[in-house]
Amino acid sequence: MPLAIYIGRRLVFLVVALFGVSLITFVVTRVLPGNPAYLIVGVQADESTVEAVIERLGLDRPIVEQYGHYMRQLFTGDLGDSWRTKNPVTTDIGVRWPATIELASMAAIMAVAWSVPFGVISALRRRSLSDRLANVVSGIGVSVPEFWLGIILLLVFAFNLGFAPAPIGRTLGVVPPDVTGLYTLDSVIAGDWGALRSALAQLILPALTLAITTGAPLLRVTRGFMRETMSSHHIRSARALGIPERSIVLRHAVPNVLLPVSTMAAMMYGYLLGGTVLVEFVFAWPGIGKYAIDSINASDYAPVLAAVLLSACSYIIVYLIMDILHFIIDPRTRT
Amino acid sequence: MSAADVPEVSIPDAGDPVAPESGAVPVLDVFDLTVGFGSAAKRAVRRSIPLQGIHLQVGAGERMALVGESGSGKSLTAAAVLGLLPDGAEVIRGSIRLDGEELIGAPERRLRDLRGGRMAIMFQNPRASLNPVLTVGGQIAEVIRVHGDAGRRESWTQAVDLLSEMGIPDAARRAKDYVHQYSGGMAQRAALAMALSCRPDLLIADEPTTGLDATLQQQVLELVVEQVTSRDASLLLITHDIAVARSHCERTTVMYAGRVMESGPTASVTGSPKNPYTSALLKAFGTVDQRRMYAIGGVVPTLIGELGECAFADRCPLAAPECREGVPDLRSVGDRRVACVKA
Repeated sequence: MPLAIYIGRRLVFLVVALFGVSLITFVVTRVLPGNPAYLIVGVQADESTVEAVIERLGLDRPIVEQYGHYMRQLFTGDLGDSWRTKNPVTTDIGVRWPATIELASMAAIMAVAWSVPFGVISALRRRSLSDRLANVVSGIGVSVPEFWLGIILLLVFAFNLGFAPAPIGRTLGVVPPDVTGLYTLDSVIAGDWGALRSALAQLILPALTLAITTGAPLLRVTRGFMRETMSSHHIRSARALGIPERSIVLRHAVPNVLLPVSTMAAMMYGYLLGGTVLVEFVFAWPGIGKYAIDSINASDYAPVLAAVLLSACSYIIVYLIMDILHFIIDPRTRT
Repeated sequence: MSAADVPEVSIPDAGDPVAPESGAVPVLDVFDLTVGFGSAAKRAVRRSIPLQGIHLQVGAGERMALVGESGSGKSLTAAAVLGLLPDGAEVIRGSIRLDGEELIGAPERRLRDLRGGRMAIMFQNPRASLNPVLTVGGQIAEVIRVHGDAGRRESWTQAVDLLSEMGIPDAARRAKDYVHQYSGGMAQRAALAMALSCRPDLLIADEPTTGLDATLQQQVLELVVEQVTSRDASLLLITHDIAVARSHCERTTVMYAGRVMESGPTASVTGSPKNPYTSALLKAFGTVDQRRMYAIGGVVPTLIGELGECAFADRCPLAAPECREGVPDLRSVGDRRVACVKA
C-alpha cells in the first residue's frame, strides 16, 4: 500500500531532520557567549569552584563527546536538567507545553475561521469591497509586529474598555483538575463553567493577536488560490453548462482551494506549536516560547535544546498528519 | 454605450434566406454582433473591437464550421453566444437569438438555464475542463440535476448511461473515477456526455480535438457528429483546420480579424472560394496542389480602434484602392455571403 510506504519514508525523514536540528542547536548553544557554571555557583564563586562545576557538567570535554553524551541521554527519554529551574527539562516542558498548545490551537482555529472564508469571498470579484478590505486587512496583518499588536489589544480591550482581564497568565480563577493540561478543555471535562470562562478570558487576547498575524498570510494565500481556481478551465466549463454560481463556488472551486490552503494552515499551526515567543512574553503566558527565551538568557543549554527539538518535532508531525489527510482526501494521490 | 464609434457593417440583404431552411427559424441566429474590449475611460481612443458585425446562422440539425486562424474571434463568438464574455468585454450592438429567443440583455438566470440546457459547449483540452476533485459521473449528474428535476440516483444513472453511449467501457465503474484517471480521448468523451446530457438544441465544439493524438482526433470528431446527428441537434464546430470543416460540416463560415469573410455551403466555400482570404487559407492548409508550403504574407492587423477598411487589405494579393474605402459589406453572392468588394 503506497500510504504505508509514504508514511514510513516521512518517519525516516523525521528522524534525520531531528538529528540535524539537534546537532545544529547543540553547536550553537555551546558556541554562544556566557558560562553556565556561573549560573550554578554564582558570580562571586572562586576560580576553583567554577572549574569544578565545569568539570562536573562535562563542559571541559570536546564538543563531539558532549554531543554523544547528550544523544545517549536523549534516546532514554532524558532531556537533561535545567540549571536555572533545577528541574528535569521533561518536567518543565510537561508544565509549559500545554499552555502553548492551548494558545496555538485557539489561535489557529480563530485564524482559519476568519481568513479562509474571507479569502474565498474576496477572490470572487476583483476590486470589490471585500477585495479591497482584504488588501487592507492582510496588509496590516502581515506588516504589524506581533508584540506591538498584542500591546495595543491589551491597551484597548483590557485597560481602556475593560472587556478582557489583565495579562497575568492562564487563569484568574481556579485551575481545573488536570486531564489534558489545556485549561479550557479540562474545565469542560470537569463541568466547571466559571473556570472555563476565566480560562477563555485569559486566552482570548493572545489568541486574537496570533490569529490576526498568522491569518493575514493565510488570507492572501487563500485569495490567490481561489482566484486561480475561479479562472481555471473547469470552472469555465461548469459555468458554460449552467451550474449555478453557488455550486460553482462551494462545490467546484472551494475543495480545490482547500487542499493547498490546509497545507499552509498546518505549517502555520506547526509554527505556533513551537512556541510563540513574543506573544507569550507580552501576555505573560507561561508557554514553551517564554521558557526557551528565559533559558537562552541564562545560558541554560538543556531547555533550549529541548525547546528547539520540540518545535521541530511538532512542525514535522503536524505537517505529516496533514500530508496523510491529503492522501485520504485528494483523489489525485489515490490511483 | 452608443454604437456610433464602431463603423457599421451594412447588410443590404440581411433578410436574404441564405440558409437552406428558408422560412424556418434558425437554431442560432447571430446578427451584426459587435464586441468591444476596454474600459469606459479608454474606449473613445484605444478601444479594441475583437468582433465586428458578425453574422452567423445555424439551422436546425445543421453542422456549421467556424474556421479561422488564432485570434480571428472564433472562441470569442462562442463566448458571446453563451453570454460568458471575459471581463472587460461587452456587446456593443447586434443580436444573438437561440431558437428565436434574444439572448443579448437576457437576465443571467435565464441564460444560466439555457447554458447546458438548450445550448452546450465542449472545449479543447478536455482534461482541464473537468474538475479534478469531483468524480466524472458526479459532474455529469450535477448538470442533469441543475437542468431538470431528476434526483440524485436518477441523474447518476443517466450519467452512467451517457458515458456508456459515448463509448466509455465499464461506464458504471468509470463514472466514479476522477479525471486524472481518464485518458485525453476518454475525457473528451466525458465532456461530450456532459455537454449533451440535457439534449441541447445547439452544441458548440470549440477545437474539440486540439491536444489529442492524431489517431484520436478523427474518432472524437466522428463521435461528436454521430451523437449530435442522432439527437437532431445543431453543431457549431470551431476549428482552425479547414480540412476538418470540409469532412464534417455541411456549411462553413470563415472568420478573419473579428469579421466574417465568407459563409456558405462547405463544398462551394472550400471548392471555389470567392474571398481572397479563404483562398489564402486553403492554400496555407495545403489543400490546393502545390510544391512549397504556402504562408500568407504579413500579419493579422491589431484590433485597436476602428478599422475602416477591409481587414485583409494589407495582406491581400488582389488589394485595390476600393478595398480601403470602407469595411466591405457581407453580400450575397450566389449560394453564399462574401465580404469582399472583388467578389
